[in-house]
Amino acid sequence: MELVLVTVGCFLAVAGFAVLVETPRKYILQAGFAGAFGGWVYFYSMQRGLDTVPACFLSALVISLVAHIFARIFKAPVTVFLIAGILPTVPGAGMYRAVYYIIADDRARSSYYLLQTLEIAGVIALAIFIVDTVFRIRIKRKK
Amino acid sequence: MDDKSTANMAVLAGEIMLKSGAETYRVEDTIKHILDTAGTAETEALVMLTGIIVTIDRPGEEAVTVMRRVHDRGTNMHRIVEVNEISRKYCAGELSAEETWEKLNSIKGKQYSVRMYNLATVLVPAGFAPLFGGGIREILAAAGIGIVLAVLMTIGKRVRIGRFILNMICAAGAAVAAVLLQLWNPLLNMDTVIISGIMPLVPGVAITNAIRDTLRGDYISGGARALEAFVTAAAVAIGVGVGIGLTTVFWQGGGLL
Repeated sequence: MELVLVTVGCFLAVAGFAVLVETPRKYILQAGFAGAFGGWVYFYSMQRGLDTVPACFLSALVISLVAHIFARIFKAPVTVFLIAGILPTVPGAGMYRAVYYIIADDRARSSYYLLQTLEIAGVIALAIFIVDTVFRIRIKRKK
Repeated sequence: MDDKSTANMAVLAGEIMLKSGAETYRVEDTIKHILDTAGTAETEALVMLTGIIVTIDRPGEEAVTVMRRVHDRGTNMHRIVEVNEISRKYCAGELSAEETWEKLNSIKGKQYSVRMYNLATVLVPAGFAPLFGGGIREILAAAGIGIVLAVLMTIGKRVRIGRFILNMICAAGAAVAAVLLQLWNPLLNMDTVIISGIMPLVPGVAITNAIRDTLRGDYISGGARALEAFVTAAAVAIGVGVGIGLTTVFWQGGGLL
């Protein structure tokens, strides 16, 4: 039940963000789907007891995979789906907690969350990199 | 069509893409494709986050070079898609040079109404609230924060203040609203509400582009974008900090300290 709510929420939120970055009307739904997939994977793996960082990695992997596939199907640049879709994974929560614990004068937790934020940014990079590379290999073979 | 106009056209296409937040390597690709339609000339394109340099060189003639400084950058997927389509058609020979020039010049910026924009600003925090462990209560509160953000952003655009300060003010507004909402209803989970509230502000676009540029070997642009992401993140973080700090100082006893 919660999972459904999260997925629907992510879909709406990502579609909303797609509007904010002026995505063309015909691609808004697809961007929303990319985000919903990502949110679903993230939340599901968290429910299964996975840690935040691996969960982010999996979700970023799925999102960039979906974005690349959508880009091939709908003949649009990958960015259109990737930028809005990656939003559920972006470490906003870590950033906030790092600052919150600075204010609350809890250095240990603050640096824990700061490090986690950097780790998440790192694994997002890794995921995007892997998928980008895989898709580039395929294109070169075709030619 | 002479080399000068080809170079101008390529730079215009590149400028639109760069201003709309396309990855640098993609801008370079597009420019290179347009330049190569000039025929047997040596062409070169250098794109950085803040400027474009393009040159066409024919043996026995003077080289044509065009340089353009690109100042303000935002994110506008619509324009990226349009330029992409136009340049593809031009390179395939479906569009003449004059048509391409006209089409590039007539690309519009905004395609949604202000109301749609504001609705989206409300939708983003509300939609993300469940992801960060919120229930119905938090969703409603996050939507309320979305309204605050929409108001602040609209005012900010009218007044034309810098990006950094605007992000800071928006984050502070979101934090203040969240703390006040929690004072009013102590059952509310303030963390969830603030995190969802700052989601429209976090530098997702900059992070993604920084990664993709860096991995293509474009270290100057990648580094610049990483710095952009970091500065935006810092602005949001400082804003949240100021917001929570101020409210707890003024309403002692109800906050976190």
